[in-house]
Amino acid sequence: MLTPLRLVLTASRFGTTSPIVTTDLIVFSHLLAELALRQLPCGGWATRASSSQAAIEPTCYSALVLDSAPMSHAGRAQEFLLRSQNPNGSWPAFAGDDQDGAWVTSLALISLADQPAAVSARLKGFEWLMNSAGQESNWFWNWKFRTADRQVRFDPDKFGWPWFPGTVSWVVPTAFALLALNQRSCSCNRLEGFPSRVQLGVEMLLDRACPDGGWNAGNSVVYGSGMAPHPDDTATALLVLSDRRQHPVVKSSIRYLEHVAPTLTAPWSLAWTILALAAYGRQINSLRRSLVAIPDLLTIADTSTLALVCLALDHQRTLSALGVMS
Amino acid sequence: MNLTRRDFLIGSAAVAAGTSVSAPFFLPQFHVDRRPRRSRVAILHADHYSQGLDQTLSTGLRLFPLDVRGKGVVLKPNLVDYAPGEAINTHPVLVRAAAESFRRMGAKSVIVAEGPGHQRDTQWVLLQSGYQQSLRDDEIQFIDLNRDLLIRTSLRAGCMRMNDLWLPRTVLATDFLVSMPKIKTHHWAGVTLSMKNMFGIVPGMRYGWPKNILHWRGIQESILDLCATVPIQFVIADGIVAMEGNGPLNGTPRALGKIVLADDAVAADATCARLMGFNPGQVEHIRQGSQFLGNAAPALIDQVGETVVSPATPFHLLPEFRRLQTT
Repeated sequence: MLTPLRLVLTASRFGTTSPIVTTDLIVFSHLLAELALRQLPCGGWATRASSSQAAIEPTCYSALVLDSAPMSHAGRAQEFLLRSQNPNGSWPAFAGDDQDGAWVTSLALISLADQPAAVSARLKGFEWLMNSAGQESNWFWNWKFRTADRQVRFDPDKFGWPWFPGTVSWVVPTAFALLALNQRSCSCNRLEGFPSRVQLGVEMLLDRACPDGGWNAGNSVVYGSGMAPHPDDTATALLVLSDRRQHPVVKSSIRYLEHVAPTLTAPWSLAWTILALAAYGRQINSLRRSLVAIPDLLTIADTSTLALVCLALDHQRTLSALGVMS
Repeated sequence: MNLTRRDFLIGSAAVAAGTSVSAPFFLPQFHVDRRPRRSRVAILHADHYSQGLDQTLSTGLRLFPLDVRGKGVVLKPNLVDYAPGEAINTHPVLVRAAAESFRRMGAKSVIVAEGPGHQRDTQWVLLQSGYQQSLRDDEIQFIDLNRDLLIRTSLRAGCMRMNDLWLPRTVLATDFLVSMPKIKTHHWAGVTLSMKNMFGIVPGMRYGWPKNILHWRGIQESILDLCATVPIQFVIADGIVAMEGNGPLNGTPRALGKIVLADDAVAADATCARLMGFNPGQVEHIRQGSQFLGNAAPALIDQVGETVVSPATPFHLLPEFRRLQTT
């Protein structure tokens, strides 16, 4: 039922009827149908196709992909997300997890944007996010990183968000947090310190870039050796910095990503790369062709990757949903 | 009543789930003493990653009284990231040889499982490092431990000052866990061998990339707690081309020409450390592990295959770990 309806819905999104676009459209529709099949009765998605443990990351990506479908997939996903929220406003990594909160809180906030039923849940989530910071923001650890633990090159005054409370800031959770905070609604404007916190997060990302451009998890130089960037981490960080196109770090990172993009055959990295390069107005048609040509896309076990492939194929709407101006 | 490894670990997880709602308490350190009376380590010679490794490994495994018939085997390589020409990961040819050997020995299933510590895109690492093709050719299933079904699991050594961790079902439910590290120096832990290799079972989807919680709780402490909680049944360490210097990612490849097999992870790591020219008593997790997890003393290790010979030039270390070279 989903496939033909989505075909019609998505045809206008893809804009033309060229053979390439038609191929993309067919693949896209099959992927959407597969994604819909994997939805659990609780409304969430598990990380792996064979698992029944609903997790927030694949649920958020899937909800973003399916949010305009006339079926109830996205609605059930959003209900699942609202039910899963921790009392402190954060989200757990998966159903049944501890209630301390995790990095996926940012993804849940993005997925619930524009949902009238989620206004108060999002406000609590934003408050949790504003109170969450890497441990280097604490004076003691800041001092220790400045004086003793200096093997990893970074400026502890520029902190972002951790994966998990009680640890330091890393690139991906910081990028997700910034994407979420940039989408705050008017009702969230009362959050104190919002502009400076966002600015600090951006500075943290720029500080953690690898010496020749791009990002990895967040260790750019260790014991004096420059570390290599990763395509997916680079793409995620670039999505946040699309309004700083002339910054030298951004320019060198785009160069790195454009250089590595044609070599990518892993769907996760290729999908993130397509989204980032599209955000910067770069040519992505050949990358899209590479993505849909990857064999066995439908049997990808990791549901987050499957959803991300869909998000990349529907890049314009995805960038809009992420609040990224292309 | 026979209590299998699977029963024990799943039962522990269930008990932990039950106790998690009670007031927090910390288990006394070393409340489990799993040291075998004697341990066995085999050092095999191999200069290259070639098809001949299959035969070398099969011969080496016959030096142990292993019975994996009807058991599910999980091979846990060290697959942390990829850089061209670097000796970062356990070589896929060795993993493939191990899978074939255990299949021939009658294993019910052989799975390769890993949760890369630095890279979110596990498939990218598999593709770049040659694993994808190798696993596909031999129809070996791979499980991404960063995104597996998770079970709350009580920690059994109390070193991390945490009650529990969420750990992947694949490693908790297996009958026979084989740690397959790359023999490397490590800029935070001194060495990364079969025990440190267990960091890869901690799921990124819960604890992030890298698994920073393990650093904050103490690297040595985390190694001990993980090894106490999820016992390693066997070790196959890749030292054909090892790494020295600023490991685990930015070190220098070093030809060692050895594969180390062992039925005791502490004994394996102590032997690997000696082959690197280090004093295992100076490696904190080996020293402490020898008090409750396994044997590090040569007198308690039955050495088979080649003998332990320290290299004329020890593996290069960062200055912070030069103490490892002291006797």
